[in-house]
Amino acid sequence: LVQVLVLYFAKSAELAEVRSENITVPHQVTSLQLWEELVRKHPRLAAIRDQVVLAVHQEYVSLGDELLILHPGDEVAVIPPLSGG
Amino acid sequence: MSRAANDLGSAGLEVEYADMSGCEIAASDIVKLTHDKLSTEEVSASVVCPSCGAVSLFIGITRNSFEGKKVVELEYEAYIPMAQSEMKKICLDVRQKWPSVKHISIHHRLGVVPVAEASVIIAISSPHRSESLEAVKYCIDTLKATVPIWKKEIYETEDYSWKENKECRWAESRQK
Repeated sequence: LVQVLVLYFAKSAELAEVRSENITVPHQVTSLQLWEELVRKHPRLAAIRDQVVLAVHQEYVSLGDELLILHPGDEVAVIPPLSGG
Repeated sequence: MSRAANDLGSAGLEVEYADMSGCEIAASDIVKLTHDKLSTEEVSASVVCPSCGAVSLFIGITRNSFEGKKVVELEYEAYIPMAQSEMKKICLDVRQKWPSVKHISIHHRLGVVPVAEASVIIAISSPHRSESLEAVKYCIDTLKATVPIWKKEIYETEDYSWKENKECRWAESRQK
């Protein structure tokens, strides 16, 4: 198990009611499993399930079977649909 | 003025390239996120170069209405380090597609942006105009699809909505 920092942005921060928090997850976990852990902690996040990706090591990862290798202190961000520019 | 821990105030990155064209000034990428009001003069001056006949500019401005609702202001937030790295990737892409491009400058404002003010300014210089015009379009289109920045549109009624760019792969308008 490793402790990683989760960052919430925009709508996801409103639903989770937090901007950042540490969570403990397995060292290897799929992106979907990671998302499900976040929803367990903050059930209101389920509302954006179809319009969200994660950013792990500052690369976008869709929710699915992609296996993530996480290290202590890694940053994972919850990324709702972008609206820059 | 106090700011949140992940707020950078004004964050800039400058990258310089070894210049192969024989011109004195090395090509550079300027990527800036700031809570300050943006200056068109500053952004365009940052890309001017004597060997470049063209400077092309895009300015994104807060509109005063959306679907009949009066917009009071926009409020932007960003995943700052990733926004910077994604904007740098756009600069690299631009240079691959338009090798004659000289300087690229992308400034994006964060925090509250009142109506009629600029949220983003992109300036690109090149020897001739078609490259910088095309590169500016590519920059703004790609920024909207890939840079982790979000805006909240705040209406006169005090209600608001988080906008979603249609360019974003995971936006609702793109779901089947």
